[in-house]
Amino acid sequence: MIKLDKNKILIDIKKAVLTGEDALAQNLARKAIKEGAEPIKVLNEAQNAMIEAGELWKRNDYFQGDVVLSAEAFHVVMEVVEPLLSSGEIGKSGKVIIGTVAGDMHNLGKIMVIATLRGAGFEVVDLGEDVSIQTFISKIKQLKPNILGLGCYMTTTMMEMKEIIKELQKEGLRNNLKIMIGGVPITQEYANEIGADAWGKDAFDAADKAKGLVGVK
Amino acid sequence: MHDHAMVLAGVPANKFFFDAKTNIETSALVSGYYGFDSLAAGYDGYNIEIEALGGKLVYGENAMPTIDFRDPLIKRPEDLEKLKNKKVNFRKDGRFPLAIEHSNLSLEYGFSTAMFCSPFSMAVGMRGFPALYRDIRKNPKFYAELMTFIVDNVIIPWIKVQNEDTGNLMAVGADAWASVPNLSVKEMMDWVVPYNQRLIQKTKKYGIIIMGSTGLYSEERAEKFDPKILHGSFDVELASSSVPAIMFLQGHANEYPLQSVRDYTAKAREQGKKFSISATVNAQLLRDGPVDKIVNKIKETIDIFARDHEFNMILGNIPTDAPSDHIHAAVAAVHTYGKLPIADNLDEIQFKMPKKEPFNEWRKHNA
Repeated sequence: MIKLDKNKILIDIKKAVLTGEDALAQNLARKAIKEGAEPIKVLNEAQNAMIEAGELWKRNDYFQGDVVLSAEAFHVVMEVVEPLLSSGEIGKSGKVIIGTVAGDMHNLGKIMVIATLRGAGFEVVDLGEDVSIQTFISKIKQLKPNILGLGCYMTTTMMEMKEIIKELQKEGLRNNLKIMIGGVPITQEYANEIGADAWGKDAFDAADKAKGLVGVK
Repeated sequence: MHDHAMVLAGVPANKFFFDAKTNIETSALVSGYYGFDSLAAGYDGYNIEIEALGGKLVYGENAMPTIDFRDPLIKRPEDLEKLKNKKVNFRKDGRFPLAIEHSNLSLEYGFSTAMFCSPFSMAVGMRGFPALYRDIRKNPKFYAELMTFIVDNVIIPWIKVQNEDTGNLMAVGADAWASVPNLSVKEMMDWVVPYNQRLIQKTKKYGIIIMGSTGLYSEERAEKFDPKILHGSFDVELASSSVPAIMFLQGHANEYPLQSVRDYTAKAREQGKKFSISATVNAQLLRDGPVDKIVNKIKETIDIFARDHEFNMILGNIPTDAPSDHIHAAVAAVHTYGKLPIADNLDEIQFKMPKKEPFNEWRKHNA
């Protein structure tokens, strides 16, 4: 059997993630590990692919569809390497709990934000869609994240974000937690009004802002 | 502005989106409060067909119904075959009756169109965006089959029924999913426009006019604005409608340089093309204000387009909790600066912020 060049595989993994070839990316990640590549190096290449996807997005060379496919390919590479990483290698930037607020089923933005946050070195716990205030509160108590990410798509459901922040204050959970919000109807003005710490204009901006909130460069 | 009207008037979502009479009367009341020139009434137009076909929706107490993207109608290609065999009654199933009654009641207020969800947005509603985009890339044959089914077996019969039961000859499609930055201009031209054109061609024989809304440039990051993409998006819009009309209604439209729009229309005019323009005040600006910024944006837009284009301002995207003062200011600005003939120098016209009662006071003597 021909021994595969580890560096070449790593380059190919990056390319597969960047072009959204998820099955190929996962196979290559498995092969790379089997051939002795360090899981963290595989992860780093996948992260680099997401960073490059972000650059292409900012230059209007990539659109939402491209980014979604890259995010999915990144996710399947993570499935391979995550169980093999040491505890210090997972979530070195911090921990984020993320969810779409109650009454809102939209998840496209969240899928991309999760990938960009993971690409930026965060551990991300996804609570899903239509998440109640009680669920957010109990998960924050249990998992003690650095950042809470809230998403919504409708102007009716965005008002739920205000209630969540009020409840966090009531529960005494607000001081040690940064809150980021995002979604089509959200603006910086709204973030200021409800007392959120940051607004992510899009998935890549969200990852940049998250790093800023926890002081990671 | 349906969510805004519903919340302002204190009508529960389970009545507003399920009872055409309540929806129209509430919308008419709120339209009257703001002094709109035509009735602004609507419902969750992206959901009607999918709900009637058996798609799962979530019905919130205070929010518009929404498709449950966790449990899509077409999870795998085989599900399309089942859907093809399903007998759909376009007069009775789901909320088709609501939509028909809504159109008929709207006519009493002088304005009505047939409504439909456009092919690409309906396909997203059935599959979810990631799966549908994957179909485009990996399984284009299935994508084509799905889009053809949507046009031929869902949208055309639905528009036909609306035409027969309401007399409406114009059908307005909602297509927020088919826009930049979700798709590139090329992707829309290759994968979306052909099905919009199929719809236009096939409904022409019934005398139906299709007013699409595919291609509305929806980029939220103003720094990513690119005039080439704007112009490409206008090409998509024009190719997706039977009528020559362009709209710039979405994204950070208020921050786009309006001259870029004018560059497009000027070039088109040189080629002998003429079309109407619909503009809006961006939803976030309407919500966040301040009033001065809203008024100045409307003044600027009228100044650039209203003298030599068929032009209208649409305040359709009014967020739920937009302050009423902002809407009053926007309407007053349109009526102040949009008076025909448009003045040579709009700066010479003084804008006065109208004094309006809060809605609940106003309704006591106007309801």
